[in-house]
Amino acid sequence: MYSSLVRLQNTFGFFTTVAFCVALLISASDFLSDRAPTVNVLKTTQLQVVKGRADYYSSKKEEYAIIKFTLDADLSSLFTWNTKQVFAYVTAEWPSAQNNNATNQAVIWDTIITAPSSDHLGNFSPSKLKRLRKSAAGKGIDPSRGKLQIKNQRLKYPLTHPTGKLALTEDVQLKLHYNVQPWVGFLSWDQNQDWGKWKALKNGLSRKFTLPAIKTKEQAKKKTTTGGTRA
Amino acid sequence: MAEQLLDQARDIFEGQIDFEGQKLVELLVNISLTLVGAIAFLVGYFLQDIKLAVYIGLAGTAATFLLVVPPWPIYNKNPVKWLPVAGVASPANIVIDETMLR
Repeated sequence: MYSSLVRLQNTFGFFTTVAFCVALLISASDFLSDRAPTVNVLKTTQLQVVKGRADYYSSKKEEYAIIKFTLDADLSSLFTWNTKQVFAYVTAEWPSAQNNNATNQAVIWDTIITAPSSDHLGNFSPSKLKRLRKSAAGKGIDPSRGKLQIKNQRLKYPLTHPTGKLALTEDVQLKLHYNVQPWVGFLSWDQNQDWGKWKALKNGLSRKFTLPAIKTKEQAKKKTTTGGTRA
Repeated sequence: MAEQLLDQARDIFEGQIDFEGQKLVELLVNISLTLVGAIAFLVGYFLQDIKLAVYIGLAGTAATFLLVVPPWPIYNKNPVKWLPVAGVASPANIVIDETMLR
């Protein structure tokens, strides 16, 4: 501590220690907050299987599922001061046909929910950024953003299978997942069991449904809204 | 003339402080940085605002740097008293390790 340079170095050295301890405390404070995400509605509103090609030059014709779904979920309890953003995604899952314990799982839709503290990092259009900033003006956190209400949502990503066969697949279920990304600390995903103050995602699975047969000309005249509605 | 200027510049750059000052600086750094960290965390947690916590932490650290890095006069209140140069004038009765020197 004799000269200015030594004082600068020692002070900075102790600052890094303090910063690390504060970061540790912040990430530990996550465990003190309740997490009770719930899904009120997750159901399919339209099911259809069509034949198509992956791209224009592809010689192989594959079966693609066309699914529309309605989602009403409350993820607001995931937002604390340490939440940077929440990545919410819906998968379609079904057991493998050949009894080999494998599960097919494909993401069909996703969204990024930013916390007000990370709005500036998102790749938003200026108008959306303005809207987000306005909705969260003066607030450190904005849990209301965790309320998802989506009606008749189309697939964001095409749903097919390596075998190219998808029609009449049984026991398909939609499932909501989430990934909480904190400012400091560990990533955490949706849980299947309670863990301390963090409760498992309630009601995150849709009813099991069977994908319909490929639409033929005779069937095309009928309406194809079957399956998948929860009581 | 130039040598004097260089000496002055070196003194300012080095910013030496005395032993008592060093002890005080060490204490100040430990106390203030720990306090800043604790305040940043508590304010952030209770107001649920992580940006505020970061800004409090950084501002407090900057203030600490300002407090301890420059050689403020209060760190130089107890300069070391050196013995007079030997041979010029022999001072009487200097005691070192209980033995009288001549």
